[in-house]
Amino acid sequence: MNNSQYPLARKSGLVVQEMPDEVLVYDLNSNKAHCLNETAAKVWKSCDGRTSIDEMAAVFGKGSNEDLVWLAIDQLSENHLLETGVTSKFKGQSRREVIKKIGLASVIAVPVIASLVAPQNALAAQSCHCVNNTQCSSGPNLGHCAATTCNGSGLCAAP
Amino acid sequence: MNHCDLRMVDASVSNWNLLQAQVQKRRVTATFEAFRANRIEPILIKGWAAARYYPNLSLRRPGDIDIAVNPDEFTTAQEVVSRRDFSNVNIDLHSGLRHLDSVAWPVLFERSILCDLNNTKIRVLCDEDHLRLLSVHWLVDGGRYKDKLWDIFYAVENRRPDFDWERCLDVVSPIRRRWVICAIAIAHAYLGLNISGLPFESEANNIPAWIKECLEKEWKQSYHFEPILTSTHDSRLLVHQIFRRLPPNPIRATIEAEGDLYGNRRAIYQTKVIARRLGPFLRDLFHFIRLKMRGET
Repeated sequence: MNNSQYPLARKSGLVVQEMPDEVLVYDLNSNKAHCLNETAAKVWKSCDGRTSIDEMAAVFGKGSNEDLVWLAIDQLSENHLLETGVTSKFKGQSRREVIKKIGLASVIAVPVIASLVAPQNALAAQSCHCVNNTQCSSGPNLGHCAATTCNGSGLCAAP
Repeated sequence: MNHCDLRMVDASVSNWNLLQAQVQKRRVTATFEAFRANRIEPILIKGWAAARYYPNLSLRRPGDIDIAVNPDEFTTAQEVVSRRDFSNVNIDLHSGLRHLDSVAWPVLFERSILCDLNNTKIRVLCDEDHLRLLSVHWLVDGGRYKDKLWDIFYAVENRRPDFDWERCLDVVSPIRRRWVICAIAIAHAYLGLNISGLPFESEANNIPAWIKECLEKEWKQSYHFEPILTSTHDSRLLVHQIFRRLPPNPIRATIEAEGDLYGNRRAIYQTKVIARRLGPFLRDLFHFIRLKMRGET
């Protein structure tokens, strides 16, 4: 694949959850979840089948380079988030080497696609038990208990 | 905190829950479409039906998809969920509501409602029936899953202004009525659910001490309760699983025996449970050992 080609983001079989600074993607076919950081998400959204790698690099503006876009494309392809796979531009180079090179030259965060696994405990830690108000107004109890103040019974609830 | 750190693969619990909730929504709608294509009208219980009451979907960890169907349609429903399209979807199919409720299926169905989910109408129990089911289900599990107590918390906390407590509590036996009140009382005691002004407020302020002891002991357990035959690969785990069952969880035993949580016959219920389960357990165990000796597991 060269820079004049037009990658297309996969749409089918994916559940996408946009977060303020990242995008979470669940692949219903493989039952795998991915977390795209802002840069990777921006590249993925640009993969409309009409925008070339050069044009994508230009979107990131001054200080960016096309290797950064390629790094994102490479990971998107690896994680089956593109309609068709691409051949890595970085064949023969480790990702660490590429990231090091880009990281030094770029002012933009290096694109990262991380695998997500189910966190342990989930809500098990939430109990609404407390010994002071801070425990009700921060941590897992915040926004989940009946009140943000600790009552006489040791619960984040109304007195 | 940015979750896409190179060193980190875990997302925060809330982000994970939110993503899983979106996945579950998609799967619920697909499941309903498949059932309807086979002329079966199912009812979704727990899961998204419970999550609707939460202020934010990120607060609830989605599990499997619980679907109840008319017992007369159960065989066809089993065929639907055994198809390849559902091979990676965890559907727990119920023939009616079995032990979870004593109200007849036609009545529950008649009172059920349709809710919009991603432009698909999803049938759920009416709020009153669903709260009763959530409460009984939580007790059937012996109160082991503290996080699921939030389902009861939010179902009560965010109930409609015209929620009909008589419709919820007075359509079942006095014993089952007390089960529901007890579950709500536990949510009050441990999660701070506000029950002031509820028609059973005084009853709910009086949870038997043994129930509290049982719950606090359960929540301290470091080993999750697992099907015993899935623990056979690890002898230490197996021993823990056996000891977790001896004596049987008294809350669960009472519910299984259709007993009164406020009575004092739990030792009898526990003995009954042991007697009832011993035969099937030994049969499964011998079957498993035989398979293992043949190298089929």
